[in-house]
Amino acid sequence: MKAKAYEIVRLKNVTKVYKIGYYEVVALNDVSLEIKDGEFIAVMGPSGSGKSTLLNIIGCLDKPTSGEVFINGVSTKKLSEKKLTELRRDTIGFVFQQYNLIPTLTARENIELPMIFKGMDERERENRVREILEMLTLENLADRKPMELSGGQQQKVAIARALANEPKILLCDEPTGNLDSRSGHEIMETIKMLNREEGMTVILVTHDESLKKYAERVIRLRDGRIVDVSSTGN
Amino acid sequence: MYLQLAIRNLRRVKVRSALAMLGIIIGVTAVSSIGIFGENLKRVVLENFQDMVNEVIILPSTTNGYDSIDEKTLSKIGKSIYISELIPVKSKTAKIEGEKSTYAIVYGLNERDVEELFKAEKGKISLKRKCVVGNTLAKRLDIRVGDRLRIGNKEYKVSAILEREGARFDINPNNAVIVSLQEFSDNFNLEYSMLIVKVKNVDEIENFKKFVERSVNYKVKKVEVFELKSIIERINRAFNQVNLFLMAIAAVSLLVAGVSILNIMLMSTIERTKEIGVMRAIGAFRESILKIFLLESLILGISGSVIGGILSLGGGYLITSLIIHRSGDILNLSSLLYMAEGMFFGTLTSLISGLYPAYRASKLEPIEALRYE
Repeated sequence: MKAKAYEIVRLKNVTKVYKIGYYEVVALNDVSLEIKDGEFIAVMGPSGSGKSTLLNIIGCLDKPTSGEVFINGVSTKKLSEKKLTELRRDTIGFVFQQYNLIPTLTARENIELPMIFKGMDERERENRVREILEMLTLENLADRKPMELSGGQQQKVAIARALANEPKILLCDEPTGNLDSRSGHEIMETIKMLNREEGMTVILVTHDESLKKYAERVIRLRDGRIVDVSSTGN
Repeated sequence: MYLQLAIRNLRRVKVRSALAMLGIIIGVTAVSSIGIFGENLKRVVLENFQDMVNEVIILPSTTNGYDSIDEKTLSKIGKSIYISELIPVKSKTAKIEGEKSTYAIVYGLNERDVEELFKAEKGKISLKRKCVVGNTLAKRLDIRVGDRLRIGNKEYKVSAILEREGARFDINPNNAVIVSLQEFSDNFNLEYSMLIVKVKNVDEIENFKKFVERSVNYKVKKVEVFELKSIIERINRAFNQVNLFLMAIAAVSLLVAGVSILNIMLMSTIERTKEIGVMRAIGAFRESILKIFLLESLILGISGSVIGGILSLGGGYLITSLIIHRSGDILNLSSLLYMAEGMFFGTLTSLISGLYPAYRASKLEPIEALRYE
């Protein structure tokens, strides 16, 4: 059993309102949520329910209109732009639906990029990249550019990149949304493996009901509110 | 890695990058070529004056009531250790009578000095009861060697017609007649109107001036000292100004190149908005984004400047040889300096043009940038 000691993510009465032209859209409405270290959470709901907004706010890409977010016990409210960037770089790994690899860089270099942003020296980077490539069995693809990779392979490289600085939290926004079911399955197994063996906290946003089975808790959103939280018994 | 990334980003849009670089190449070539041409033109012009830089002219101080320089002053100045040559000059405007007559300047000079300063076009310079005539005056009055001229109350045989002289600051013989100092004194009974001094070493001009102040001007300012060096320096400065103006015109092409870099970099920031968002999401600081984009425009600028700089040597050579028909020695320090100057401004242009797009890219909100399709 993993020790789920402390809350790695805590949202306290978080509301997010977007202004689109003259209209205001309430994307999140007074959401409070605690996620423990090492948990695997699936956030589900129809499109427009606020899933992605929730993920962006946890990922410190977006700021709540009101309410407070704690990552690793630290409130993000008063953090400077620079501190937020450091937090993203060192604590959070992002996996996007579109993979979002840098097209000019090889797989290896894409994985290396967050380490460069962190200022790691070359030897350290090399070692870490080798480690990650091995862990995800990507060694053979290391020197290919994203264009030369299949969707599933690209997504695997994207996961590898998310692991670069050994984050505590992995945020996955529809990671299988662009993949066929076999590749999707492989990606989910990889993510599950990271959760189980590396103890990473995974927050997975999806509307694919079949992915429920990977999660320990499922949070359902509708119109910016949490309507249901259920344990899957995993 | 940032450099790698920047280079690859530029390669992604090869034609566009090449065109922007071409702009810088043209700009730098234009600016440097014109600079090199101007510098060489100046050198050719100033070469004519080179043998005058160590020349000093001493004139009577008319503001203090002196209209001539006396023997005593001449011998005092002659004692200076700084001078290598001393040419005393007497002069007066007088009536010259031959077949036709006119008023012209008559100079009194030592024969040896005349031989040193001027060349005869016809005849042989001799001042023993003879005179030599300037080129323009000879043509105007139809004077030939062997003619007799009446000057004052004496008559002289013309021993030589001088070659036409270019612009001089001391003696202008083209429209004059030259007789010996002795003859001049017998004829007009005047003291020296000017002393031409050649200093041994250009650096000693100041010392010589001090010497004159101490030995001649100690009570009253009897003489004024003019150094031709300062006149040459003024010509030099005028040339430099003209050159600067020409280069400024050429720099317009650099400005255009700058605008085109600004344009393509702005296009790049827009096209790569999502990429910027991704990099910000995975931990790139604003400064890192700024750095990547600035590097891109700098690479364009530096490589364009280097190519342009090299081309400008050829361009400078071409213009110089076409216009002043002399270009053998284009590879000198000042040419290289102008080349470097052009390259510096080329690079600076790209840096300035890159600033705004890079700043804009770095200011993008990561969430907005990520959403951009």
